[in-house]
Formats: sequence, structure tokens, C-alpha cells
Amino acid sequence: MRSAGRLHRAGPVLRFVAPKVLQALFVVWATYTVTFLLIHALPGDPVLAALAVRAGDAATTDPEVLDALRAQYGLDGSILHQYVSHFLALFRGDLGVSMATGYDVSDMVARALPKTVAVAALALVLGFVGALAFTIAAYLARPQWLRGAISQIPPLGIAIPAFLTGVVLISVFAFQLGWFPASGADGFASTVLPAITLSLPTGAIFYQVFSAAVFEAGEAGFVRTARAKGLSQPVVIGRHILRNAVLPAITIIGLQIGYLAGGTAVVETVFSRDGIGRITVDAVLARDINVVTGVVMVVAVIYAVTTMIVDLLYGVLDPRIRTRVAAKPRTRSHAATPAGGDDA
Amino acid sequence: MRRLLNPVTLLSALVLVVTLIAVIWPGLLAPYDPFDSVGDARLEAPSAAHLFGTDALARDVFSRVVYGARLSLLAAVLATTAGAVLGGLVGLISGTAGGRVDFAIMRVIDVMLAIPGILLALIVVASLGFGAVSIAIGVGLGATGSFARVMRAQVMRIRNEEYIEAARTMGLRRPTILFRHVMPNASQPIVAMASTELALAILAVSALSFLGFGAQPPTPEWGSLVSDGRQFIATAPWLSIMPGSVILVVVLAVNGLARNLGGNR
Amino acid sequence: MSAAPVLRVTNLHVTYGSGSARHHAVRGVDLELGAGRILAVVGESGSGKSTVANAVLGLLPDGARLTEGVVEVEGVHLTAMRERALRRVRGDIVGYVPQDPSRSLNPVLRIGEQIAEALRRHTDLNRADAAARAVEILDEVGIPDPELRARQYPHELSGGLRQRVLIGIAWACTPQLVVADEPTSALDVTVQRHVLDRMEELRAAHGTAVLLITHDLAVAADRADDIVVMQHGQIVESGKAAEVLSNPQHEYTRALVGAAPGLHSARMLPRVEPAAVTAGTSDAPLLTVRGLQKTYPGDGGAGAVHAVKGVDLDIRRRETFAIVGESGSGKSTTARMIARIIDSDSGEIRFDGEDLTAMEGERLRRFRQYIQVVFQNPVGSLDPRMTVERLVTEPLRAQRFLSRRERAATARELLDQVRLGPEHLERRPAQLSGGQAQRVAIARALAVRPELLVLDEPVSALDVSVQEQVLQLLVDLQAEHGLTYLFISHDLAVVRQISDSIAVMSKGEVLERGPAAEVLSDPRSEYTRELLAAIPGQVTAS
Repeated sequence: MRSAGRLHRAGPVLRFVAPKVLQALFVVWATYTVTFLLIHALPGDPVLAALAVRAGDAATTDPEVLDALRAQYGLDGSILHQYVSHFLALFRGDLGVSMATGYDVSDMVARALPKTVAVAALALVLGFVGALAFTIAAYLARPQWLRGAISQIPPLGIAIPAFLTGVVLISVFAFQLGWFPASGADGFASTVLPAITLSLPTGAIFYQVFSAAVFEAGEAGFVRTARAKGLSQPVVIGRHILRNAVLPAITIIGLQIGYLAGGTAVVETVFSRDGIGRITVDAVLARDINVVTGVVMVVAVIYAVTTMIVDLLYGVLDPRIRTRVAAKPRTRSHAATPAGGDDA
Repeated sequence: MRRLLNPVTLLSALVLVVTLIAVIWPGLLAPYDPFDSVGDARLEAPSAAHLFGTDALARDVFSRVVYGARLSLLAAVLATTAGAVLGGLVGLISGTAGGRVDFAIMRVIDVMLAIPGILLALIVVASLGFGAVSIAIGVGLGATGSFARVMRAQVMRIRNEEYIEAARTMGLRRPTILFRHVMPNASQPIVAMASTELALAILAVSALSFLGFGAQPPTPEWGSLVSDGRQFIATAPWLSIMPGSVILVVVLAVNGLARNLGGNR
Repeated sequence: MSAAPVLRVTNLHVTYGSGSARHHAVRGVDLELGAGRILAVVGESGSGKSTVANAVLGLLPDGARLTEGVVEVEGVHLTAMRERALRRVRGDIVGYVPQDPSRSLNPVLRIGEQIAEALRRHTDLNRADAAARAVEILDEVGIPDPELRARQYPHELSGGLRQRVLIGIAWACTPQLVVADEPTSALDVTVQRHVLDRMEELRAAHGTAVLLITHDLAVAADRADDIVVMQHGQIVESGKAAEVLSNPQHEYTRALVGAAPGLHSARMLPRVEPAAVTAGTSDAPLLTVRGLQKTYPGDGGAGAVHAVKGVDLDIRRRETFAIVGESGSGKSTTARMIARIIDSDSGEIRFDGEDLTAMEGERLRRFRQYIQVVFQNPVGSLDPRMTVERLVTEPLRAQRFLSRRERAATARELLDQVRLGPEHLERRPAQLSGGQAQRVAIARALAVRPELLVLDEPVSALDVSVQEQVLQLLVDLQAEHGLTYLFISHDLAVVRQISDSIAVMSKGEVLERGPAAEVLSDPRSEYTRELLAAIPGQVTAS
């Protein structure tokens, strides 16, 4: 990051953290800009579109009424004015007013968010644990064909449409066995089926990165060294293989947030939960631009903050980055120049 | 030769041939008219006469699935092609230009990758209106970022290969190096990636159509067929499960072939 | 040795894969190694020598199977043991020094911990005592500041220090046997010598038996008591090191000894009649370099890297001028500036009186026909999608030489010059061996009849016997076509065989230069003396 240059007097930790914070801010701003551009560049008047959905042919065309509505939804004034004022409003937590319901978008999101987070968090945990279990099973499996067979299973998770998983789970566990509720958002039991549905693609993505890292580490020279030391299998796997393989797996948590955000739209529809995803779908059906933008911004903020935390965490967990952060120019000479780097 | 004998590949190819027939000549496969009721047999369970059963309007679900293939798959193919061409081009420019151009393009790409693909598609659908074309544009836009990123990485990697240096020391002109050495070597992974992305696009298109943003009834589409069956899930689960399974099988087939194309056996 | 051998391998057979893809990598190998002795297993890539090492360690890779034979250490049959029991043997009774120090230490664990975990596994030491002992071991293998180093991570140590750490791990529990698999092939020569010295000291101190796997006959000659030569999975010759090397019996051993650069100090001679010197060629140097500088911008304000600091060179026509140096010396950067692959910061490069650094655009492009380059990695320097025919004629197309039909005929001629048959014309790089690929790269460089060939480590990626053939080819081609060579190498033993003039570079500066004979017999700088002394195989070389 170019901006880091000016901070060279600051402490090394600040020099490490500052670019990451700037990066997060940048993502939020840029997401806002891209969303804004898309909405205004694509043809159609959002207010007219929303009215048409609500009232059909009976929608008013009276210019005065339309202007009043525009002002109410914050869609009046010049494009530039809208662009700036909406972005500034973002920092006050003001996401505008829903064109379909008239409610405050921030309130709508605030009410729906906990229900979505409960499902997403459980899905993330289930996916991570599942991927870990499959990876270790595949790594240990002998002979070769068994390993091959095991590693064929996790990719299925991403090929199954979420609505199919949901429908099957509902018809088996809700209607036939009656273990879990088929819909609603009351209590832990209601989060189980949606979370399992979401955990399949999440787990598949984790597995992809995780198994690649584990198999790469398994082939690596240092694992050979560890085995040549005569260390026991759990120590070799836990301390030498997993400790190296977990690092790339955490970096994709940010990506997973995006995936989960998209997945909730389908899952919450299938399970009739009024979370973020459901709000978004209803908003799109009502052509309610304000709510769609609001949700996108909330997701962007969550994504940016998660990515930032993961990046910072990486700096703490990976000694190669940690020592570089901590190294002051004086101690740097102690660290010998990396071997093998020819002058080429 | 061993590639052809691989049973997974063979099966995948077979599934895709049947799917292709459904797209081009649905009449060859579908036993009934997808829009007309076949008598008063409503919500009938799958049988020899009605492979996937019948729906609430007594229409043959199997025939509707066959006729639904065209819209669902064309949208996915359109989305992937648009994403691959646009993304490939952007990545090529970014990778060859380098410097500030590259920096600027990559920041835009970062943002496109930061917004979840489905949300990006939802924004497009919300402003453009419903229908298969909107969905295709939305999904294609969502895929553009990853294509651009992969293409750029390829170009950057190949630019640093010794054979590119060798080409320069031979006295080849820059455009010649780009078109004769960089492009052919860089586009191979893009082709492999396009086939994996196609599977994801089929899923994304059917998800959006499931949510009700696709073609309006009675036009059949895979996602909306699942959605239509959902209200009878307690009594007639096959209405949803059958079309859903077809999507799964086609996605698996595309993946099966894609893995072969990618060459990681 | 009167006592029973520490290691005895009897009739070892190992296969890879199954069915039609089955490959018999080791076919009936017998070895015997006594306490305190070093046995070198020598062979080229694919000879099965590393598979023997893996079999002794019980660490055969997936897909490899020990089909027959017995490995005994101290009379115990390792081959009959279960994996669980073997883990008690490895690290305790059998130690291991791996090939590549840069990848053989866990990047996320501290150095001290990586030694201590072996101690805790095989001895009664508690955590604190093991950590303290780890520091002592670092001291024993000659690592300065052992307390500090024990707390550091692998990336903070140089390659040579990392290899010492790995030697420390191998000897941590004072094993009876240490298997060292190419322990120094990834290291610079001077570092190589120190590392091997350290291993010999530990062997002497503890009476350890060492199984040394190496491709380098010279290293074996210097260090081993006994030598076993392997080819195609079988032992073709074995015996006392000095005897095998001075009086090789088997044809293959003779070829290997003949090809080993370390064992021969004479300059190679062309086997063809040199082309007549055209009258009127001036005595002025073909290439003069003055005050050449290059600085790479540093990353993250860490300070720029001054790669080349004011280099002066004079390369005469028809000579081989070698630049020798270890990694980071700036030799490759210098060569790449001369070939105009990268731009210099300052200084001038005059080719036949014309300043190259001032050349740009179309003029530079046309001029490139006079200077061609052969790169280190033979396969990597060829576009994988092209056939050999297209590859070797590409410079002709670039420079618009000859018609399409003439080019096809020229392709055959060019291959013929580098002693490759026309059947290679339709092949692609992946279908060529390393030696063949490098011949194709040389043919390509010759296509436009250049005057100067820049050879950037052209043989370091090749097996010794192939290495020698390619060097001989280069010597012949030089005589045939009256070429001038700029030869870049880290290997003084190779340079000795081919060069007329030598420049020794270190840390971006030329330490000394002059006629090859002078530099080699009467080096002026301390560094050159050290480089010369580090060439393995001095003891046995005549």
C-alpha cells in the first residue's frame, strides 16, 4: 500500500494495521459506489418501478405526487447529491426508508440480522468441522482408491442446489420424523435444518482449500523431517501438518461470508425465516431499491470487517509475517537474507 | 485414450447429450405438452406414465422439466460466456498493461469479488426487472471478477516464464509475443475455469428463478418448478425434489467433464 | 570392522505404481555399512539411489512398495516392523539429513522446539531440559548465538544454517546410523564444504555410520570410505572409494568419472577443425563493459538491493569468458543486462564499438540477432505449446530471415548441428529430456548466426553425464562457428573445463579477472582461493 509510506515514522504495528483498516474502508466505499452506479446506470426509474409493482396499472403518474415520493425516499436532487448524501448517511447508521413498507431500513435490518447470524454462524462451524473431518479422513485413508472415494464426497456439497437440500431436509426431518420445525425462527431447533443446508456449500469450499493445504503440507519436506524424527502420528498431523494448513483456510472466511449472504436468500425462503435474506428477496420482488442497497451495504461492512480481522489474525499466527512486522531495521540484519534467491 | 474410458467422464457426457437434446428438440424427450393438463390426475405420485408425477394443474412434471431446460441452461451459458469474455479481456489488459492501469482495474475487481455474486445479481434484477435475461446479466457480472483475476494471474505468471524472456532476446515484437506466446498459454486455464463456472452459473440461475425473479408462469424453468412444488411439500414432495435432482445431476455432469478438462486427475 | 555392520541391506526390491504403469525402481540392492564409516551411494537421477535411502528410513512415498528384501539396523529387521515400532527407531537409532534445507523445517515452529521435540520423543528429558539441550546442540553444529537462534523461525536463518539445524536434529539422539540424502546439493559450494565438514566431525565424535546419497562423484570421493555406484536400480560397481575412482571397472562408472567436472581440471578441446579466422577481424574486444550498475528497489522500505556495483569486463572475440559467483553475487544480473533483458541503471556496454545501453525499439530488436541467450532451465525456456521445428525457427521469423520453405530445411540443419535427429522436429518440450531440451535451446540460439552467446548456467539443471556432453557440444560449436561465449556459472569446476578468461564476482563486484589459467593457479583474492578450495574432489583429482 502506497499510503503506508507516509506512516513510516509510526510504530511497526501501526504500519501493519493501518493499511488493513484503509483497505476495509475502501471496500465499503467501493461497494457503495458500484451498487450506486449499477442502480443508476441500468435503465428504469426506481420509484416508478416500485409503484408499478405495488399498484399495477393504477399507479399514479401525477408528477407532483411522484416528486413528493422521491423526496420521501431520498431519491430527489442531482445524482451527485444523492451519491454523497447517502454515503454520509451510512456513517450515521441511516440506510433510508423502505419504498414498499415505509419502515426505516436500518430498523428492518437490525431486527432481521440476529436470526440470520445465528444460522450463518452455526453453518460456518458445521462446515469447518465437517471439512476438517473429511480432510483428515482422506489424508489418512489407505489404499489410494479409498482416499479417492472419500475426497469425492465434499465437492458434492457445492453441486447440490440449496433449495433441494432444504426441501429434502424438511420433508424427511420435519414432516416424516418431526424432529425439527419446518419453518419459522423460534429457538435453536429452528436453526438446525437451515444451518445444515447452508453448511454443505460452506464445508465444500473449506474442504477445497483445507485439503489442498493439508496434502501440500503432507508432501512437504518438513513433514518428512518430522516423520524421520520418529514423532507419533497425532503429533505429525496436529503440530506439523494442520498448523500449517489452517492458515490458508482462515483466509477464505471472508469469502465464506459472501457465500453465506447469498445462500441465506434461498435458505430463508425455503424455511420461511424472516432474516436478512428474506428481506432482500421481498425487496427485490417489490423493486424496493432502498432496502436492497441497505442490505448490500450491511453485508459489505460485515465482509470488510471480517476480512480485516482475518488479515490481522494472520499476522499474529504466521511467524513469517509476525517477525517482519516486529522487526525494526536494526534487528533486520540479524535475519539472514533468504537462501536460494539468486540475483536473477 | 484413458480419458475416454473413465466411467465418470462417460456418464457425464451422456447426461449432457441428453440435456442438449432437451434444449434443442424438447419434443423428442417430453411425452406431453408442458402447458396442458393431462386429464384430472392432480398431484399424482411418479409412475411409468408420469415419471416425475403431475402438478396441481395436472400437468406432466417431467415434460415441464424437459421444456424448462432451454431457458435455464441458455441463461447459464450466456452468463458464463459473457463473464469469461469480459473478465478474460479485462484480465488480459490488466496483466499486460501493468502499473497504474493494472492497479486501478484490480481495485475494481476486488470490489466485484467482495460483493457476493447473488447479491450483485439481485441488484441487477432489482433495477432491470425480472426475466431470464436480467438473471443472465446479473450472474455473468458476478462471474466477471473471478475470470478477470484468474486471467491476470495467468498473464503475470507467463510473462515471467523464461520462454517469454527468450522470445524477447530473439527480437520478437511485443504484440507477437503477446499473441503467439502469452495468450495461448494463458487461455487454457480460462477454458477449464469456464466449465466449472458454468456449473455454478446453472446453480445461481436456478436459485434466482426459484426466488421468483425469472420467467413468469406458466413458462417452465427449473428453479421455479422447485418453487411451485414447495407448497405441496408435505403431501407431494416429489414435485420439488424431482426437478431439483435434475439440476443436481446436470451440475454434477458439467463438473465431471470440467474436472477432466482441467486435467487434475 | 570386526563387529556386525550397523546397516545391512539384502536384495532390496522397490516398485512404484501398479499394473501397466508399474516401475521397478530398485532391483536387488545389497549394502553393508560399519560403525564410524561413510558409504556413498552415487548415481544420476532415476538411478534409484534416493529410493534406497527412503527404504532404509521406512519412509517410502505413497504408491511405492518394498516387494522383496531386508533392511537390518544393528541386527534388527526394520522391514518386518510395524509402523508404530518403526517410529521408535526413526530419530533415535536412525537419523536423517534431508536434501533441501529451505523446505525441510516447519515454517511455523521455532528452531529450538524442532530439535527439542525429537529429544522429548526419544529420551526422558522434560520440556525445560530438552529446550536447554537443543541450544547445546545448535552450539555443537557450529551455529553462532545458539540461544537467539533457538528462539527464531526457519525463515530467519540462511540455507547453510538451516542445514546445520537439520544435521543437529539428525544427531540429536546420537543415532547409530544417519541417512543423508543429497545433503548439500541445494547449497553454495563454500557452504557445502562447511556443512560436510560438520557432518564428518559428528561422525568421528559419535562413531556414527553414515549413508551418503549423492549425485556428485567428487563429493563422494572426498568424504566416503566406500562407494556404491547405481544405475537403473542396480549396483553396477562397489568398493573402496579411492579404488573405485582411480580404477573404475564398470563402463558406466568410467563414464561418470570421466564426466565429473570436479575430477578434471583440464580445459576441454574441440573435436572438430576450427573454422579459419577470417582475415581482417580486429583484435579489439567484441564486448566491453564499463561501470555497469543495477539497483533493485527494496520492498516495503527495507532498503534497495545494490545487485551490481560498477562492473568492468572485456570479452575478446572467439573466447569463452566466464563469470563465476555464488547466489546473490550479481552474475546473472550482469548477464541479463548485457543481453538487454533488463535495463542497466548506469554504465556502458559496447558491442563491436556500439553502445548497447543507448539502443531502443526497432534498432534494438534488429540488433538482438548478434547476441543470443541460452537459459538455465532448458524446459522452461521453451514455449510448451510449440513443436521443436517452430521453436528453433522462431528467431528466423522474428528477424525475417529466409522463406518458409528454407526455414523448414534450416530446422533440420540446426538440429543436426546440436546432434539431434530429425525425428525430434515434431516433438514438444514436454516430450524432451533435459539434455535434449537444452540442445534445442542452443540450436534456437544459433539460428540467426549470432556472434555472442550468453550462456546463463546452461548445464546446472542437467545430470553430470549430460552436462559433459552439452559442454563438449558448446566447445565444438564455438570452434565450428567462431562464436564468443559469455558463460555464467556458480560452479568453478565446470568453468575450469570451458573458459579462457574468468571473472570472479561476489556481492555485486568483480573481485578479480584474468586468463583462466592465471586465476585458477594463482588466485589473487581470498574469496577465489576459498572457492577453489571448496571444489569437491581435490583429493583424488590428479
